[in-house]
Amino acid sequence: MVEIPKQVRNDNKDAMLNPALNLFHGLFQHLLELQKRFWALKSLVVSALLLYCFTAVAQPPNRIVSLAPSVTETLYALGLEDRIVGVTTFCDYPKEAKEKPKIGGMSNPSLEAVLSLKPDIVVMTTDGNPKEFAERLHSLKIKTYVMRARRIHEFPDEIRKLGDALGVRERAEALAKEMEGALKGLKKQVQKPKKVIFIIWAEPLIVAGGGTTINDALTLIGYKNIGDASAINYPKYSIEEIIRQDPELIFIGGGHDELKKLSAKLLYRLKSTSAVKNKKVFYVSDMLYRLSPRLIKGIEELSDASLEIEKGIVK
Amino acid sequence: MIRVSLLVLAVIAISGMALFLMPVPINPFSASQMEKEILLYIRLPRVVTAFLMGMSLAGCGCILQALLRNPLADPYILGLSSGSALFATIGIMSGSAFLGGFTTPIFAFMGAILTGIIVGIMAWKRGGLWPERLLLAGIGVGFLFSSVLMLFMSISDAEALRRATLWLFGDLGMTDWSSIPYGMAFIGIGLFIAIRRGKALNTLLLGDDLSHSLGFSPRKETILLFTSVCLLTASSVSLGGMIGFIGLLMPHIMRAITGSDMRRLIPMAMLGGGGLLVTADMLGRTLLKPAEIPAGVITAILGAPYFLYLLRRRDVIG
Repeated sequence: MVEIPKQVRNDNKDAMLNPALNLFHGLFQHLLELQKRFWALKSLVVSALLLYCFTAVAQPPNRIVSLAPSVTETLYALGLEDRIVGVTTFCDYPKEAKEKPKIGGMSNPSLEAVLSLKPDIVVMTTDGNPKEFAERLHSLKIKTYVMRARRIHEFPDEIRKLGDALGVRERAEALAKEMEGALKGLKKQVQKPKKVIFIIWAEPLIVAGGGTTINDALTLIGYKNIGDASAINYPKYSIEEIIRQDPELIFIGGGHDELKKLSAKLLYRLKSTSAVKNKKVFYVSDMLYRLSPRLIKGIEELSDASLEIEKGIVK
Repeated sequence: MIRVSLLVLAVIAISGMALFLMPVPINPFSASQMEKEILLYIRLPRVVTAFLMGMSLAGCGCILQALLRNPLADPYILGLSSGSALFATIGIMSGSAFLGGFTTPIFAFMGAILTGIIVGIMAWKRGGLWPERLLLAGIGVGFLFSSVLMLFMSISDAEALRRATLWLFGDLGMTDWSSIPYGMAFIGIGLFIAIRRGKALNTLLLGDDLSHSLGFSPRKETILLFTSVCLLTASSVSLGGMIGFIGLLMPHIMRAITGSDMRRLIPMAMLGGGGLLVTADMLGRTLLKPAEIPAGVITAILGAPYFLYLLRRRDVIG
């Protein structure tokens, strides 16, 4: 091992220290200079802060995780498909959403799966996602956006808020306006509304109750939903009450063939109602089950059905 | 005898209420066409089904409590309910409807019978069914099937889960006349065996040795009675899903009224069980109308506190 002479080492130390001292000295001089021109310094700091804020706002969340099928649909409608990095196993619309990485179910999303996707923001709903999950994400310093809208009339504003949070204000505004326009166009006032029932499942008999988007849709286009007599959103309903109320139209939602078979027995038991007697039973899709931009199509479907009735076309 | 006639009167009164008064009163003498239809095709099959289910559950409870010499025995403890529930849920979730409305009942029935066979094989030793082994095998198989059921539910989508859950609580909302003959046939056979072997069951309660010395073959009787329990549970689950607490509770209540002679206890418990389930269903239809609460939820809410009260009062019933 070669011994380094003391002198050289000291020199080296000095040489190493000197540039630092020089730098400090220079900086000090510079600061003094700047202090003389106080206003210049202040403006520099302010502009730097402004620049920082501006870039923070302009940089929207790039990695979005969706915790509900309705959220996923809305994100796609806002054109954010490239930024979605994770969805639930139930996110099946649009089809491409099925290809995204999965983070588990709606009521039981996997915290680990969400974290591993390194999201900038997690979008969830009050309807179906556990509140505790949002709290866990908060404690891990992960940003969340919680969609609180439950009813159709609340939805356009919810889209605007979501657009703000995700930095796509203009697109959100356009989508919200479009929905508001469509809803206004569909709105109907009827003197004596037709009594209808919307069946979600035949056995056990589950119908759409008062607090649902389906009820909103039916009311909007001028029907009277028998099911709104129940305070529960999707009640297990009394078949006796349906017969007693005698609906003029029956909608069966879901659009599966399986449901057609399953509902055969139910319809037989409802054979004395006007709807069954006049063959005014309609199998419709499940588009109204989720609070998403597809609602409009779902509502149109219900009114299309009513048009078919006027023409005398029955299924 | 007065107690017995009072019970019969009470059951008749409750059935009448369930038919004509709740949830909306219908006067049978001035009923409109629609009301007649509701009476005949909705309320009547419902009351009959509830009665049959309650009967078979209470009967099962009586037989099992004597057979296993355990006051806490009921169809659940033998795993039979879990077995039929598991199979019925598979039927519901697979969405297969190849047998139409009968899919679920048939799956449930197969489940109960299959579980009965498995538990029976597990409990079989030295040429006969052993009560202690029957009990333990039942608990084990029940746990296994319940966890498989949980597995299915945790991987199923939300809608199917909701369907299955409601069914598991016992749903009488869609009963009609078509399933009643099957239920009646199985319950009839089960009841026939149970009452015919009532005397043997009395002796089994005293222990195998004593039973043997009194001229009965404990092994033969156990197999026979176990078969009747399987039939009764299967028919009850397939009629309307899982209803708890009736099998556990009714034998204890009726023992206080009629004494513990099985030949009297079994028919009386069946009467009481029927009446109780009719009441529970009636309340379930009425309390939140037009929405309905599954009858099984009501029996649990009514039954559990009463059971605790019994425990308190009699220092664990024997």
